[in-house]
Amino acid sequence: MTQRAAPELLLGILPIALILALWQALTSFDMAPPALLPPPMAVFRRLVEQLGNPIFLQHTFTTLLRLFAGFAIACLVGVTLGLMASSSRVAESAIRPIVRVLAPVPKIALYPAFILILGFDHASKIALVAADALFPILLATYQGAVSVEPKLVWSALAAGTTRRKALLTVVLRAALPSVLTGCRIGLVISCIVVFLAEMISSTDGLGHLLVYASRSFETVDMYVPLITISLLGLSLNAGFNALRRRLLAGYPEAE
Amino acid sequence: MIAIERISKTFETRRGASHLALGEISLDVADGEFVSILGPSGCGKSTLLYIVGGFVPPSTGVVALDGKPVTGPGPDRGPVFQEFALFPWKTVLGNVMYGLLERGTPKVEAEAKARALIGLVHLEGYEGFYPKELSGGMKQRVAIARTLAYGPSILLMDEPFGALDAHTRTGMQNELLEIWERDRKTVLFVTHSVEEAVFLSDRVVVLTRSPGRIKETIRIDLPRPRRRKELLVDNRYQRLVVEIEALMDTPAQRR
Repeated sequence: MTQRAAPELLLGILPIALILALWQALTSFDMAPPALLPPPMAVFRRLVEQLGNPIFLQHTFTTLLRLFAGFAIACLVGVTLGLMASSSRVAESAIRPIVRVLAPVPKIALYPAFILILGFDHASKIALVAADALFPILLATYQGAVSVEPKLVWSALAAGTTRRKALLTVVLRAALPSVLTGCRIGLVISCIVVFLAEMISSTDGLGHLLVYASRSFETVDMYVPLITISLLGLSLNAGFNALRRRLLAGYPEAE
Repeated sequence: MIAIERISKTFETRRGASHLALGEISLDVADGEFVSILGPSGCGKSTLLYIVGGFVPPSTGVVALDGKPVTGPGPDRGPVFQEFALFPWKTVLGNVMYGLLERGTPKVEAEAKARALIGLVHLEGYEGFYPKELSGGMKQRVAIARTLAYGPSILLMDEPFGALDAHTRTGMQNELLEIWERDRKTVLFVTHSVEEAVFLSDRVVVLTRSPGRIKETIRIDLPRPRRRKELLVDNRYQRLVVEIEALMDTPAQRR
C-alpha cells in the first residue's frame, strides 16, 4: 500500500474532529448538563488515568481474551469449512444448507442459550463472538477458493504435489486476499459482539464496565470503555493490515 | 511414447444437455518428437492437452504413456499455460524451486539448480522479483523454467505464447527451440498460429471446427536446427504455411 497523501489523511481526521468539537460545544455552552454528558477532556483524562489502573487493565484484558479466542475459533472453523466446501461436492452439499439456515439468524438471540449451556463465564461470550464472526469468514473463504485459477492447482499437481497438500499450499494461499478480507470483517464483528455480550450479562470486561457505570450515573466512566474498545479496534485493524501486507507481498491485489 | 486412443470429451451444459467438445481423437507421439496441435478456437485442442496432462478426465478413450494409462497429473508431464499460472506469492526463484522441493531435493541443491535454469531462460538478476513485477514474456520464461525444473520428459504447452506481443513471441519461439535442441523432450504444443506450428514442429496436427477431430496430419521435414531468417525465405516453409492455412480456411472465413 502506498503512503496516503497528507491532504487525504487530513480529510479523514476532519469528521472525527468535528464530532469532538460538537461534543465540546454541547458541554461548553451548557446545552447538556455535565452530569449527563461530560466534557470530552474529562473523559480522555479519565481514560489516561484508567490506563494506569490495574483493575481497568484487567477488564480490558478479559475483553481482549474473549475477542481473540472467539475470533480465532471463527477463523479456524470458517476457513476449514469454506475450504472443504470449495473442494468437494459432498462437503459442499453438507455445508451449504446449514450455512443458509444459520447465517441469517441474529446470533445474539442464541446468547441466552449459550449462557444456559456454557455458563456465565468466558465460554458463552467466546461462543457468541465465534458464531457471529464465523459466517463472513466462511463465505469469503469459499468464494475465494472456488475462484482460484485451476491452472495454478494443476501446475502444483504436475510438479508432484498431492491434491490434499495443494488445497492448503496452493488453493488457500491463492485465495488468501479473499480469506483475509473475510477475517477483517470478522475481526470488526468480534469487537462489536464481545462488547455487546459483556453489556448484556457479565461481571467483567469493558462492556460490563460501561453498563455498571451507566447504572451508577458515573457518566465519565461510561464513555471510557467505549473509547477504549474503539481504540482497540483501531489498533487491531492496523495490526491486521500490517500482517495482510506482509502475507500478500507479490499479489496483484495487495497494491 | 504418448498413445492417444479414441479420446473424446463431452461437457454437460447448464441445462443438462451434453455438448461434444472433442471428437474421437487417436494420435501417437514418439519420444523426442515436437508435435503441434492446430485448430480454430473452441475446437477442444486445449482440452486434448489437459486430458494428456491428466488434469481433465476423458469421456471415452485412454491416453497411455509408454503403455501405462494416464490416471492423473504427474511430474513426467510438465504443463506450460498461456496464463503462465505462476504462484504470485513466490518469487522467481521460489517458483522455479517449487517442483524441486516437492520432489524432496535438498534446499541448497534445489536453489543451485533453479539458479542455473533461471540462467537458461535469461533471467539472471530477477531471482528475487515477484511475477507481478515481470513482463508477459518474462513470466512465461519463469513458467518454462519452473516446469523444466522437475525434469518432465514431456512438455505440454497450451498456447504458451498466445498472450505475448508479436516481437516477444518470435523471440520466445527461438528460445524454446534452443532449449528443445539440447535435450529433445517430447513436446505437445497447442497453438492457433500456423507459422508458429510450422516453425517449431516435426509434425502438425490440424483439428476441425467443434467438435474437434483430426482433419489432417502434416509432417514438417524442414532441416534442424532451424533459423528464423533462413526459414522465412525458404520455399518449403512458405509452401507448408500456405498449405496448412488452406486447411484451416473454413468457408465462413473465405468470404
